[in-house]
Amino acid sequence: MRPIWSKISEEIEGELAGTRGSCPYHPSHFRNQDCTFCYCPFYPCNDPDLGEVTESRKVGKIWNCTYCNFIHRRDVAAYVHGRLRESRISGSEDPALRELFEETKMKFHRTGKAVMVLGATSDAGKSVIVTAICRILNDRGYSVTPFKSQNMSLNSRVTYGGHEISMIQDLQARAAGISRPSFRINPILMKPKGDGMSQVILEGVPAGDYTSADYYSDFVPGPGTDVLRKSIDFLQSRYDFVVMEGAGSPAEINIYDSDIANMRAAEAADADCILVVNVEWGGSYAYAVGTLDLLHSKDRERVKAIMLNNLKGEVSGMRAAADDIERITGIPVMGIIPHLDFDLPKEDSESFRGVKTLGRGRTVVVVPKFPRISNFTDLDPLLHEDVTVRFVSSPDEMEGAAAVVLPGTKSTISDLEWLKATGIADRILSLKGKVPILGICGGYQMMGRTLSDPFGTEGGPSESEGLGLFDMETEWPESGKKTEIFEGTYIPTGDRITGYEIHSGLSKSYEGPMLKTQRYTEGSLRADEMLFGTYVHGLFDKPCFRRHFLSKAGCALAEEAVDHDEHVEKNIDKLAHGVMNAMDMEIFNRIFSEESL
Amino acid sequence: MRIMFLGTSSNSGKTTVAAMMCRYAAMQGISAAPFKASNLSSSWYITESGAPIGIGQAFQAVASGVIPQADMNPILLRPEKGGVVRFLKGQPRNMSDETAVSEALASFDSLSGRYSLVVCEGSGSPVELNLSGSDIANMRMVRERSIPTIIVGDIERGGVFAAIYGTWKLITEEDRKHLQGFVINRFRGDVSVLYPGIEELESMTGMRCFGVIPYMDLRVPEEDTSESKVSCQEGLRSLEDLLLACKDSVDLNGMLRISGA
Repeated sequence: MRPIWSKISEEIEGELAGTRGSCPYHPSHFRNQDCTFCYCPFYPCNDPDLGEVTESRKVGKIWNCTYCNFIHRRDVAAYVHGRLRESRISGSEDPALRELFEETKMKFHRTGKAVMVLGATSDAGKSVIVTAICRILNDRGYSVTPFKSQNMSLNSRVTYGGHEISMIQDLQARAAGISRPSFRINPILMKPKGDGMSQVILEGVPAGDYTSADYYSDFVPGPGTDVLRKSIDFLQSRYDFVVMEGAGSPAEINIYDSDIANMRAAEAADADCILVVNVEWGGSYAYAVGTLDLLHSKDRERVKAIMLNNLKGEVSGMRAAADDIERITGIPVMGIIPHLDFDLPKEDSESFRGVKTLGRGRTVVVVPKFPRISNFTDLDPLLHEDVTVRFVSSPDEMEGAAAVVLPGTKSTISDLEWLKATGIADRILSLKGKVPILGICGGYQMMGRTLSDPFGTEGGPSESEGLGLFDMETEWPESGKKTEIFEGTYIPTGDRITGYEIHSGLSKSYEGPMLKTQRYTEGSLRADEMLFGTYVHGLFDKPCFRRHFLSKAGCALAEEAVDHDEHVEKNIDKLAHGVMNAMDMEIFNRIFSEESL
Repeated sequence: MRIMFLGTSSNSGKTTVAAMMCRYAAMQGISAAPFKASNLSSSWYITESGAPIGIGQAFQAVASGVIPQADMNPILLRPEKGGVVRFLKGQPRNMSDETAVSEALASFDSLSGRYSLVVCEGSGSPVELNLSGSDIANMRMVRERSIPTIIVGDIERGGVFAAIYGTWKLITEEDRKHLQGFVINRFRGDVSVLYPGIEELESMTGMRCFGVIPYMDLRVPEEDTSESKVSCQEGLRSLEDLLLACKDSVDLNGMLRISGA
């Protein structure tokens, strides 16, 4: 008998626990999960609908339940609890236990309901609506997951498994209350490299560079279609609801049949669809009617509701318009969503393109706006203090800089050349020792002496001299990419830092380190000259390092030390309430009904 | 000769396309004048007679090589406390929609009499079902003076086929006879990927595609931008760069032809 069975026996003897939010392990799977069974009595069930075999460095092959939510469903927990109490199952070896598992699975296991949020344009507000829906459903106690088959973005995150996914799906997973998202929520991530080329991240790992034409002719019919099917099956067999996000418009008739981000994904998941139209720019009737009319009829039938989003005027003024749209399309308008005021990381680099400053505080943090800038959401938490983040493209704009942050980039060496050509590099060197300078990831690599990319990992083969702020060399090996969650401390203060690393270049630094974990040290630090460098993204999220760095810049710190994760959490709630208040909940409940499961 | 550019949304690029038309006509030796019946704006250009007109029309006049004048934008709507106030050639006028239409037509006719080509621009989207007032600057003008019309769609945010199709669809069957074609604005990348979509849209609507305008970072005088005023000289340089970039991809001659040239 496994030793765990004694724990399970205790749970069987105990009462139904429901959600146990106070437990240090909560939520091991999803927020609001049922914790009647902390240990699954059926482990290892070896059922591929629920878990999978994974290779562990310590113990070899093991049965992995990271993404199984079955025993944490309220109805399942109550049923299994009751049946185990009345039966005389002696332990995990008892054949009656297997019978009970089969019976429970037969009775309760189901394919999750998929709903896809489509947009009439990009920037329609799809990703925000998906975030809100994930939170609303998770608040109701459901297990829910976001999904976007294909995303184009330079903002990514790393999962616990070391896979790379888009930042926005990671945020949506947070809204869904998922503690450890799987790479399957965003199996294809395209990172634009310029000149029409994109690096394709497939199931969390780099899978080559494609032009737009090659992507549609080679990638989509092969690996793209396979992974779509696989990801959807995986998520639908584990979650009550799969809230899918489309990409751009689903009515791009020039690529309709090879568009796996919209209707083909909806078809694969048999999803109902909601069409979101941004009313800000006008023409929303035409966009709504045109989008629906250009869908193939079987696809159009999936669209169950329309949402008019981002209204800046009076809702009453839009009601008549909504009635007209209902009359013309025969599809109900499930909500007129006002322009909502919330602060969450933004997806689109389109909307970032024109941004020159963030915040309006007194301390000016200058950030070179690299042509290939990436993971710039790193800077968001600075705004919890008295800071203005100023993105600069010329040295003249650096007047009054109290600190410099060199952010991440998709192509370090070419952006370093840009930095030198603009004259910003010289200006940074003249600030050395006067203001704190921090390099993150690509920006950190630039701070070293030499950079060498002999295999052209980030573009053509090239070498370059860095800023020389650190005695450090960076080289790009032929292959491989480090994608890892970082959990450690900031050495000077001992404060905890959590973040993530995503980089293919590797640095050898002769400076003292900045961060450490239990296994290794990381980054470079010259405290006397206020030079900081690290590969770790997200290090401003916790207040400690952020405030330490800004105090060196002479920044008056805010009274409250805001934890950025808590701030995001609050704003997800705020968004979800705003959307819920503006929505016809009868229509929402019809689409996301218990009966549909 | 007359031609109208209607947009699928605000900011779709009507003003720029109309300015291109004005410039192109002037280069061919055709005397052209811009026209927009009514304009909602908080910034304007003061003409010699003292009447303000939209910045866009003033720039289009410069592009045509003619002096900006009140008839080019007879009705201005100014957002003020308590609502929008209508101005007719600089004077606040409390007038009915019908009066506004006849005033606008009088201005259009005056320009028609004096110039060979009137290049008209609509306002917002012509199919805002809840805003009947917007019709004055859009389909009402088209109907009253049988103006050959081109729809301008913006591809930057995607959904351009849907936007153009939806606009066509929501215009009444009777009015559609004026719709001659469409252009796709702000395109980045290899234009050949659009061809299957363009062909399908042409066959669905019977409209002709007059071209695809590449994305350019334009510096032209614009309404509602408080920061950095752009001079007309700068604007003209930008416009000529754009005309050059569109040399092979936009059929400006074809547009002149449908205008009645």
